[in-house]
Amino acid sequence: MTPQPEPNATPLTDLALASTESWEKQWDPVIRAVGSQISTLPGEWGAEKVEATGIRRWCEPLEFSCALHYDPSVASAHGYADVTAPYTAITSFSLPPTWSPGIDPVFTTAGRDAQPTRSPVAALPLPGAPATTGFFATEVESTYLRPLVVGDQVKRSGMRLISCVPKHTRVGRGAFVTLETEIVDQNDTTVAITRVTLFYHHPNAESGPTEEKTDASAL
Amino acid sequence: MPAHYEPAQRHWDDLAIGEHIAAEEFPLSLYRLCMAASATRDFNSIHHNPDFARAAGAPTAYANNTFLQGMWEKTARSFIGPAGTIRALRKFTMRSFNTVDDVVTVRGEVLDKWHDTDAGVALIRMWSENGRGVSVGPGELEVTLPLRGGAR
Repeated sequence: MTPQPEPNATPLTDLALASTESWEKQWDPVIRAVGSQISTLPGEWGAEKVEATGIRRWCEPLEFSCALHYDPSVASAHGYADVTAPYTAITSFSLPPTWSPGIDPVFTTAGRDAQPTRSPVAALPLPGAPATTGFFATEVESTYLRPLVVGDQVKRSGMRLISCVPKHTRVGRGAFVTLETEIVDQNDTTVAITRVTLFYHHPNAESGPTEEKTDASAL
Repeated sequence: MPAHYEPAQRHWDDLAIGEHIAAEEFPLSLYRLCMAASATRDFNSIHHNPDFARAAGAPTAYANNTFLQGMWEKTARSFIGPAGTIRALRKFTMRSFNTVDDVVTVRGEVLDKWHDTDAGVALIRMWSENGRGVSVGPGELEVTLPLRGGAR
């Protein structure tokens, strides 16, 4: 994967080769921003409204057959306006499209490993952060105010920086960054609050204390 | 009409602290991870392209965290029934990859229970295991179950 340095970011070579003291200090701009709204997300609506077909498709690889997610009469009997989506599907329904009318072509390169030029699951840029080439999610916490039902449409609203902890781990030098976002519905009502911790890192740094590699997707 | 499973409804009053919930197994294949990528809309190549995943430092393609969260919810739903709700997911800590060829087993245990103003609430410890030990968690789901007598 070719590293793509963020604007104004410290060059990769500096992060990789800098002394222990100086590489940690490169995260100081992010640490100083803890508590603030980063506003790195454009606030786009999820690609699709919540519909029965999307709920069915979400449940299928899990073989998740609870009737709440298929049968309007069962959902109604339990107080819901329509079929509900599983709570943990809320992130999926909040993801913007990879492409939609009006967006420039994103599939511009052929090849087995070719990547689109735009992706709603790409690493979230951190203003002032040193450039990194890898990231993965390490922890998730969510509060659900209600489940989504057919007809809802949601988006992420805001992105608050909760913490930034530089660390040298087995996979490289980087920082554990915790971000919090609210997911709001079509009435601008909060339906969930999600915190995700991501390890942004440069994989070519020296080995450090043992840490497990985990899921390399940002929510 | 498809045979949708409607789990038997458990009531808060019947919960026992320390009670284990029925485990669920999720054998992982590349086929299944491709379906999961489409379902969750997490198309990151590390989750469906083994060579890409290896280039990124993983052993092979591995399950995305939304799919892993769904495993916990499916397992918990069988316990709390359709009248149950999920209020919160906590400490969903991913400790190791859950890759193609793994069988992920999700387990849970009732940690605590209490009355809220309008619901019977329980805290369930959840975790996922693969052949190498605990791969996700242990974390928690805060859930509600109906009270006998009809209040919720």
